[in-house]
Amino acid sequence: MKEPRHIRLGIWAGVALLLAWSLLPIYWTLASSVTPTVEFNARPLHLFPEHPTGEHYLRLLGVLDGHMGGVDVAGEFRLALFNSILTSSAATVLCVLMSLLAAYAFARLNFPGRQVLFYAVVGTMAVPGYAVLIPLFRLMVSLRQIDAYLGVTLIYVSAFLPLCLWLLKGVMDTLPQSLEEAARMDGASHMRILFSIIAPIAAPGLTAAAILTFLGAWGQYVVPLVFSPKNTKPLTVLIPEFAGKNFVDYGLIMAGGSIAIAVPCLLVIFLNRYLISGLLAGSTK
Amino acid sequence: MVLPILLTMGGLVFYPLLSTAWDSLHRVNPMQAGTPFVGISNYTRVFSDVEVGQAWLNTFKYVVIAVFAETVLGVLAASLINQLKSGRQWVLAAVVLPWALPGVVSGVIWQWIYSPGPGLLNGLLVMIGLDYEGHLWFNDSTSAMLAVSVVHIWRMLPLTIVIVLAAMQSIPGDLYEAARIDGASRLVMFRNITLPLTRGAIAVAMTNATVSAFNLFDEAIVLARNSLETRPILLQIYLEAFKKLNFSYGMALSLMVTFISLAISLGYVLRIHRSTRLD
Repeated sequence: MKEPRHIRLGIWAGVALLLAWSLLPIYWTLASSVTPTVEFNARPLHLFPEHPTGEHYLRLLGVLDGHMGGVDVAGEFRLALFNSILTSSAATVLCVLMSLLAAYAFARLNFPGRQVLFYAVVGTMAVPGYAVLIPLFRLMVSLRQIDAYLGVTLIYVSAFLPLCLWLLKGVMDTLPQSLEEAARMDGASHMRILFSIIAPIAAPGLTAAAILTFLGAWGQYVVPLVFSPKNTKPLTVLIPEFAGKNFVDYGLIMAGGSIAIAVPCLLVIFLNRYLISGLLAGSTK
Repeated sequence: MVLPILLTMGGLVFYPLLSTAWDSLHRVNPMQAGTPFVGISNYTRVFSDVEVGQAWLNTFKYVVIAVFAETVLGVLAASLINQLKSGRQWVLAAVVLPWALPGVVSGVIWQWIYSPGPGLLNGLLVMIGLDYEGHLWFNDSTSAMLAVSVVHIWRMLPLTIVIVLAAMQSIPGDLYEAARIDGASRLVMFRNITLPLTRGAIAVAMTNATVSAFNLFDEAIVLARNSLETRPILLQIYLEAFKKLNFSYGMALSLMVTFISLAISLGYVLRIHRSTRLD
């Protein structure tokens, strides 16, 4: 049946509105990041930059002189970018690996306290992070893990383990066991079964778990604000600091923001299918 | 095999959780010597604390605004996307994008959009002929609260859309076919088929929306700093613990917030459970 024209028009208008709402702020970030500082106050507003420039990016990355107000802005930015990539990637690898091992054990092995332990770990999803923030801070102070990569990475891992375990256990419960049984007959060890049989079949689930962990760690703010004050400071802590300093202009901040959102944007564009499946599995826990 | 996960969770979640409960009954402050037992005084203090009261009120407002807007707009947007016959996955990717961005970076982006002089919002409003030149959005508490809420809704709406859309896609097409043969209008089909069959998903989405509005922090601290007018309860805890260094008072507060948030989620879960049993 052909739909009446006014309904189709209405749907497209609605979708256009939805897209504008979602994308306009992101477009504006990119547009501002290539607008020369002197043109920001131009009225009427230019929706498209009239004289696009790469100057903000070059200064931010230190190709042009990145010192402002006596601060090495470019150096700070490069360090924060490195920190964000390092801690988020390390947390993702550790988290997926640990939850893969545990999911296999919970799904396939029989050991005392199996149910209780599984629900104890998964149940912590309901515990908000701030409930443990203060004692964690005192613990990390006594372990000398403030402003250290290991400390903050492990906190990220502990925050996303329950979700990953939940996702991966769900995936393993649906996998047929016949292949594994055949492998076990041939004398394959648990590790061998896990990494050469299960991991490849469970790849979509692993991808979903990895994306959710990476995005979550990449976007963390309170945790690094408390635990990574200086040398391990990530982009999410550095960029709002820029906004509070009058010698850093908005073109520069938007260039920094564009780089900070580029990574999640690419993940969404190329791996959205896995992301959505992970979101759905995670939200109906 | 479960050892790594148990060690991590034990050390970084269960141990701190217990120590929160224990320390909240003592006076723990690195600026003061000793940690004397003070009973529940950290808890009773909450009720006479004016700032905590204001922060609770703000959080409550955020939850009401965000859950209402995300549910209504989310169902609307999901049904729009569900009507698309082509390009659905691209529209969905674009819609999910705001959720995937770091919250503070979104805060900074919107701060720039709201800025009175060169901001996009005032620029667009002036363009369509309204007198918003140099308008300050953070000058009175109502518009500041709304401005913070808009950013939160921008970030969290995608989650509602994804959850509700998945439920809509699982409704069998022949139900609509049958209704169409009976001459039902689109509105009637929406009310009698779509809504009842997505009720469970909408409830799940509302739970998520409630919990995330409860946990609002990034948007508020970036857009309005420590302003009491827009300060949510989590920011209050953060300031109390890490600026004033009243560790034990902060712990008592955070335990109370945890219990209230758990109670609300549990309430939702029970309601969903009941309503799905009735179906």
